[in-house]
Amino acid sequence: MSFGSPYTTLPDFEYHRPTSLDEVLGLLRQYGDEAKLMGGGVGLIAFMKERLMSPAHVIDVKEVKELKMLNSPPGKGLSIGAAVTLSELLEGGVLKKDYTVLHEALARVADPMIRRRATLVGNLCEAIPWVDSPPALIALDATVAIVGPEGKRTVPVSGFVRGPVDIDLGPSEMVTAVGIPQVKGAQGAFEKFTGGSEFSLASVAVMMSNGGRNRKARVVYGAVNSTPIRSAQVEEAIKDGITPGSVRKAADLASEKVECVDDVLATAAYRKHLLKVITVKVLRRMMSQ
Amino acid sequence: MREISVIVNGRARKRMIKDNELLLDFLREKIEVRSVKAACWRGECGLCTVLMDGHLVKSCLVLAVEADRRDVRTVEGIADDGELTPIQSAFVRHGAAQCGFCTPAWVLATHELLRSNPHPSDADLVEATSGLVCRCGTYNQIREAVAEVSETKTGRQPRESLARTHRQ
Repeated sequence: MSFGSPYTTLPDFEYHRPTSLDEVLGLLRQYGDEAKLMGGGVGLIAFMKERLMSPAHVIDVKEVKELKMLNSPPGKGLSIGAAVTLSELLEGGVLKKDYTVLHEALARVADPMIRRRATLVGNLCEAIPWVDSPPALIALDATVAIVGPEGKRTVPVSGFVRGPVDIDLGPSEMVTAVGIPQVKGAQGAFEKFTGGSEFSLASVAVMMSNGGRNRKARVVYGAVNSTPIRSAQVEEAIKDGITPGSVRKAADLASEKVECVDDVLATAAYRKHLLKVITVKVLRRMMSQ
Repeated sequence: MREISVIVNGRARKRMIKDNELLLDFLREKIEVRSVKAACWRGECGLCTVLMDGHLVKSCLVLAVEADRRDVRTVEGIADDGELTPIQSAFVRHGAAQCGFCTPAWVLATHELLRSNPHPSDADLVEATSGLVCRCGTYNQIREAVAEVSETKTGRQPRESLARTHRQ
């Protein structure tokens, strides 16, 4: 069949394809941490090949009607169901106008074939430090809708992602959707540096609200530490406007204040340098828009 | 074990499979469609690409059971009556295959690109095929082949950037 290497086969599991949310919850109650939910499978199948996960039950949620919802009620933000793929989000155009920061982050995830299968919720739940959706979602103040045996709860994405491959989710719980509050009159952008691989070595998501006295900036760095990091200092530096001076200051502060880790992909010192580069790049682009 | 029925290139193929079997293994080993190549097994090289319900997917990241009752098309399924498609002829003319290992995936992906976007720009081509690799490096020849098909359809002159590539 394959070449006998563990990297080409999958561990044994039973496959389930429920069509309603109740069915999914029933299966989760029954199998608990023996089960894994599968959206597009691009993460789970890869993890299983590496034997990082060996669930006895795989629950495919692609056909679950309730999870395919993509709602944008006027003035009420956006609700993205767990089975909505990245392609659906990008091609539907719902992100283009107000949620540019997320559009830019998702448009550069892997390649179009992967994006056709991958879901936003799957990308978020992988909680691998270098995935690109969490910084963008945190910049947008997004929340995660969770349902489980104890009922429903909502947590901010910033608290949901606790560490590498560590999320705030019980064994019988599941994420049903990501909610993004309405954005008005704001500007957003995303930038990443991948060094020619497909993994971000450093990424940044920026949101700027321009109007009125209540100016706010939100700057979130990804892929430099175990979880995304907001930088109050960088936000302070640009909140009164993106100018050549404030860009320089923001870049220096990012490099100085944001804590970076050494790992197999890059050294902390290199990441510090990249923070400067991507901060300048993203802010200059926003300045010229 | 369970029985699945996959419509491969227009023909229903029934086989017994295990739940943990990949679509890639189903195609190559169970029904012996060998144009679908197994290389990286982790969704990076794109050489196992097939069309499932009209969309390009990497079959090493799809479970065989997911393809049950679905329409799967490989490079064998895009030509009519044994005639080469325009992009296949263009690949031949431009030498867009060297060792040939990745060619089925590239033909499928560029065929699909030209179907959905008959006049792709260079950027469209790069984006659409960013999930595929060719270790022989025939990217320029592939680009020329795509440009030729695109231009034959309108009778337009080769675009400047492509003409430049051609002279190199």
